[in-house]
Amino acid sequence: MSIPMEMYLPIAGNSVNIAAVFGLGGGVGLLSGIFGVGGGFLMTPLLIMMGIPATVAAASDSNQIVGASTSGTLAHLRLGNVDIKMGVLLLVGGVLGGTLGVGVIKALRQMGNADFLINVTYVLMLGLVGGYMFIESLQSMKKAKAPAKAEPARASGPGFFSRLVGGLPWQMDFVRSGARMSPVMPLFLGGLVGVLSAIMGVGGGFIMVPVMVYLLRMPMHVVVGTSLFQILFTCINVTVMQSISNHTVDFVLALILLIGSSLGAQVGAKVGKKLHGDQLKILLATLVLVVMVKILYELLARPDVLLAYVGGH
Amino acid sequence: MKRAMLFVLCLVCLCPAAWAADLDFTVAPQAIDIHALYNGTTITMTGSVPEGCQVVARFVGAPQNVALKKKGKVFGLLWMNRETLHFGNAPGVCLIAASAPEKALGAAAAELGLSGLAKGLTIEPATAEDDALRTEFLLLKKQEGLYRQDAGTVTLGQPAGAGQTFTAAIAVPSRLSPGSYAVEISAIKDGRVVAQGLRAVEAKLSGAPAFLADLAFNHGALYGVLASVIAILGGLGIGLVFQSKGAH
Repeated sequence: MSIPMEMYLPIAGNSVNIAAVFGLGGGVGLLSGIFGVGGGFLMTPLLIMMGIPATVAAASDSNQIVGASTSGTLAHLRLGNVDIKMGVLLLVGGVLGGTLGVGVIKALRQMGNADFLINVTYVLMLGLVGGYMFIESLQSMKKAKAPAKAEPARASGPGFFSRLVGGLPWQMDFVRSGARMSPVMPLFLGGLVGVLSAIMGVGGGFIMVPVMVYLLRMPMHVVVGTSLFQILFTCINVTVMQSISNHTVDFVLALILLIGSSLGAQVGAKVGKKLHGDQLKILLATLVLVVMVKILYELLARPDVLLAYVGGH
Repeated sequence: MKRAMLFVLCLVCLCPAAWAADLDFTVAPQAIDIHALYNGTTITMTGSVPEGCQVVARFVGAPQNVALKKKGKVFGLLWMNRETLHFGNAPGVCLIAASAPEKALGAAAAELGLSGLAKGLTIEPATAEDDALRTEFLLLKKQEGLYRQDAGTVTLGQPAGAGQTFTAAIAVPSRLSPGSYAVEISAIKDGRVVAQGLRAVEAKLSGAPAFLADLAFNHGALYGVLASVIAILGGLGIGLVFQSKGAH
């Protein structure tokens, strides 16, 4: 008796090789566990390459991220890396921002220029975030090697941003993050990421992580755990919404992916613990930049086929 | 079933050689069962055609309207999805196999081929480059494996009496929507279709795929909640296995 290698996906309307999908899940889950990103920006294009329709690929990916981020959050909870208070505030902001973003994109689609805006926002965000993180972590890695030198930039007193943050009402302590700030900050920033990710149609982990690192000044390891915690709830919301309105969640596909990615996320959390915050940042920055270059290339090079299905990117 | 019959009837009327003599043949399997481990199948047609004929076998889906975005350059630099175009009279699937190369078979075979299909496509709104867009449409469908000119083999037997036997085999891809499809055999002689036969083949979901598709399309909310809950349990399960490993 042989083990069946191919399986039919009822919603995607296609057969896939089980081992290939399982491997893909494992690989992206590993990255998810290390960096605290959902990995949708990698997984969705790879699924499309395997012949899954674009809308089904994106929705089913959200479904599998629910499993992977549960597994990842659990692993990081045990390591003490999840700031639940911060996560909940970001989440509330994210949901509000996401609702606003969906409205914005609807209005833009009616005006007819949505695709252009989506693509340009995507490339700019990836480029800015990736570029800034890369340079910043490179500098701090150099600094760590030569600790004798003073830090003139940091010593020049509180800047405008710090004074603004300090002036906000209801200051409270975030123990895990080792920070004291007003809940308005995470609410507002969560909302901003929510708007952007709704416009771009992605989970937003790759924007949320830098926001937590640079604007909320959280330690990198806590950022990863908290980000996964937050992604878990975002993706439950997307899975249910997509199931109701578009019927694009392929559960069979999601299940195979999620077994792979949950395993990968566990391994990833352990690998991440062995790496320095700066190393994590520079690796994530590289990943983000690679994806940006790929998208930019697709925008500039002539496509194979000059027709595309409505709904895909 | 009624709809399938109606569809076959429509196809008969649309056929370029509906006047040709009727051709008898058998199809196996007569229905495609899309089960959990379905990974495409092969449709085999056997029968006999008048002596000296070549055979074209086709597996064709119902004509559909497809909305597609045309890609074009924005600011002369960036490739983006631009205006929406509606392609009409486009079968979801068209797989063709023939006993000889299309060029050797003449005009009738060209009409039965993908080039004939492309000519029949309608595009709304009309553009100056409709012909180029028809070619792009074929390209898109070919990439998906849904349109193929050499999708199988047709072998002709030794002539016996007034007729000669044939066996055609067409490989049907796994990317197949449930619905009814037409299997069609055309006997071609001197560039004309002299006999033609048509059978309906129904593709149906069964077992787990049928259950899941019904749940997803008819009970979306329940499906979404279940999919989330199972994903959480799966993630927790794997997380806990790792925890117990870590404890030892």
